[in-house]
Amino acid sequence: MSQQKKLLIIDDDPDFVEGLKSILVAAKYSVDAAHNPKDGFQALQSKHYDLLLLDIMMGRGAEGIMLARKLNKDPKLREIPVLIITGIREQIAFLFPGQAVHPHFMPIDELVEKPVEPKLLLDKVSELLQRAQARKAQVK
Amino acid sequence: MKIVRESLPDVVFVDLKMPGVSGFEVIEKINLLDPTIVTIVITGYATVNSAVEAMKKGAYDFLPKPFTPEELRLITQRGLEKRRLVQETIALRREKEMLREHFAAIVSHELKSPLGAIQQNLFGLEAELSSKLTESQKTLFERMKCRIADLLKLIHTWLRVILVDIKKIKESFAPVTVTTLISKAVESIQPHATRKEVEILISYEEPLGLVDGDEGTLVAALVNIVSNAVKYSRLGGKVLIKAKQEENSILISVTDTGVGISEEDLPYIFGDFYAGKPGPAAERGSGLGLAITRRIVEAHNGSISVESEVGRGSAFAIRLPALKSSVHNQPSLGAETYSDSH
Repeated sequence: MSQQKKLLIIDDDPDFVEGLKSILVAAKYSVDAAHNPKDGFQALQSKHYDLLLLDIMMGRGAEGIMLARKLNKDPKLREIPVLIITGIREQIAFLFPGQAVHPHFMPIDELVEKPVEPKLLLDKVSELLQRAQARKAQVK
Repeated sequence: MKIVRESLPDVVFVDLKMPGVSGFEVIEKINLLDPTIVTIVITGYATVNSAVEAMKKGAYDFLPKPFTPEELRLITQRGLEKRRLVQETIALRREKEMLREHFAAIVSHELKSPLGAIQQNLFGLEAELSSKLTESQKTLFERMKCRIADLLKLIHTWLRVILVDIKKIKESFAPVTVTTLISKAVESIQPHATRKEVEILISYEEPLGLVDGDEGTLVAALVNIVSNAVKYSRLGGKVLIKAKQEENSILISVTDTGVGISEEDLPYIFGDFYAGKPGPAAERGSGLGLAITRRIVEAHNGSISVESEVGRGSAFAIRLPALKSSVHNQPSLGAETYSDSH
């Protein structure tokens, strides 16, 4: 890795965030966290991040999804790769058994389920970063 | 009646003798409209018989003419009080029902988040310590992660039952073959069965028709039944799955020679949160598998039944309506389908 990648976690459960963060920091990422969609959006606007880890169930419902939709409308912010973290995949999967449940809110996104095993987490993060880089190269 | 329908009063005084209609009829109609409306009969020809008749039709009380204002006030008060109590009871009953439905959902969600956070921190701690941990410390970590994962799985199962939307299932009905359902279900249980050295035997009685249903949930229902059969089988046991067509229905039976279910437990096994005694390998269910299964089967206009004997095994039978055009009926061979173990 040429330079340290900057990641942002948006999740309303600070304890969960710390657990996630420790794995990413141990893997030499620089990690910031926001505990609600509003702060998260502000952080994204004011600072450059290479990847976003987004919890979709926040506050009184799927506030994470609403944030993803908002980001998707922003020509600059929609380029950021997003790892969607959900606690509800199980239920979705039950209603559509056998189908890969992947909502695709953003051009580059992936879905993982809470809690996330360290290896899976790091694999997904580096895979997303690579995809984003490939996409950037293509555009140029 | 029009006034009653429009204003839905608390108390209605009905004269038994009215031109055109009988007071009894009015009482009946009010009762049909809203059984909580209190009707009080007022009549000049107060006989025991007509009073009894009116009460039978649903009147709350009876006031013979002539009456004093005090009598009228008293009976009105009592009528209003009665209506209030009835409405309160109904509200309480509804609330109890709501609570029952939502309680599990709320509890599960509330349990899930902290557990997920604990597990994530455990993952983090292990990752940070990874180079320093001894083998025995790693085992301790494994044990904690494993138990938390089990708990999370259990909560997910609860949520699944609570959130199964039967109406949604019905929207995706399509013809499916029973053999597909069974082979898909068996495929997902095979590893568990192999681990326990339980043999799964399948036998079809051809021809087998199609059923109209949702493949995913039907497979899930079968998985529940068959995995229970494996779970409660002893090492080296056998699970027999049979399918055959009987007139307008298709019968799928799953028979095991495992530990069985005691007679006093049998009536409850399809209810929510019933969990049987641990299986031979101390495996225990969430107590929801059979409840989900029953709901799925019933959503397909089918039925599920069980026969069991402690120590000898259980036999579950799922009956689903067959699609009409599928096959010609063959006379049943009279084989005992789901009581082999008895």
